Amino acid sequence: MVLDALIRIKNEMDSTLTFRRSCREGICGSCAMNIDGINTLACLCRITDESRGATKIYPLPHTYVVKDLVPDLTQFYKQYRSIKPYLQRKDPPTGKEVPQSIADRKKLDGLYECILCACCSTSCPSYWWNSAEYLGPAVLMQSYRWLADSRDQFKEERKQQLENEMSLYRCHTIMNCARTCPKGLNPGLAIAQIKKEMAFNG
Amino acid sequence: MASIFRTPAARMLAMAGPRSLMKQVATPVFRPAMIARMNVAPRVGVAAFHTTKKMLIFPAGPQVIEGDVNTPAPVPDANPVHGSYHWSFERIVSAALIPLTIAPFAAGTLHPITDAVLAATVVIHSHIGFQACIIDYFPKRTMAGLHRFMRWFLNGCTALVLLGLYEFETNDVGITEAIKRIWKA
Repeated sequence: MVLDALIRIKNEMDSTLTFRRSCREGICGSCAMNIDGINTLACLCRITDESRGATKIYPLPHTYVVKDLVPDLTQFYKQYRSIKPYLQRKDPPTGKEVPQSIADRKKLDGLYECILCACCSTSCPSYWWNSAEYLGPAVLMQSYRWLADSRDQFKEERKQQLENEMSLYRCHTIMNCARTCPKGLNPGLAIAQIKKEMAFNG
Repeated sequence: MASIFRTPAARMLAMAGPRSLMKQVATPVFRPAMIARMNVAPRVGVAAFHTTKKMLIFPAGPQVIEGDVNTPAPVPDANPVHGSYHWSFERIVSAALIPLTIAPFAAGTLHPITDAVLAATVVIHSHIGFQACIIDYFPKRTMAGLHRFMRWFLNGCTALVLLGLYEFETNDVGITEAIKRIWKA
């Protein structure tokens, strides 16, 4: 995998090369970078055949780069925080778990697997232009993850947060997010679901 | 990164001169002179590992982070007119255009009123589309003045086109008939 090559370069050739890595098996999302023009995780990306020539590696596009392959994800995490990514309930806590039917649990499949590596958000042209205000595919998919959760009771408040020009509606269904996602998820579909829900009962 | 597993010569080149490599990180590392000095047979045009300097056509603006790293990004005030209502209206206009565009093909020509509705819907559809472009590419937060100017410029253009089409619909043949004549001319 490309990550092994990077580690070898750092060990043997240029110890100043800087990149993030942690789990080396595609579950932490640290080693997200642009490899041969595609945002992906270095630990899940095979080294191409030698005949294909050199591999070009860049940091995630349109991010403020701290050093080499390390992007500044401060804004990304602040946006994630702004959607309140946790279960919110109006009922007083009973001290017991909140049950959920199998069908309701199934709605979260394809949403909860996101590892927030920021590959999709940084592949989205709309997020390139307006990352200060547009939330981007990764954060919006997590927003939908809580909108789709049968146990959450703050759906109206969550939708109200998106009722403006910038946060949600700068998505123009370009679908780079679904194409690039190293986990094979579809943030574009989740955003479409939010738009649909907001149009029909907003 | 296939290149680092290449020939022993390329690797020796890389391992023999880590210091010079480190110094050169901002520029392409490969230099014929360096190879000659180390008596390594040069491999054509390929350095095992090299970095490139930043190439910026337009330098990026300064990074603006509101609040510290632990505060959430600010949430704008809710206004469905700019949110879900706007989106629904956009879709309804787009959907309405489909039958309106097909109708003249089916009927041969259009009743003046239907023709006028088609003309108005096309203009509204384009207005919304251009508005989205302005919001995307002339964002209010970084270029407020230009943003306002472009919005009003678009409003002016739309009003002018609507006026022109009104004249054309009332005093001339109307758009479907005009397109038909141009098509056959």
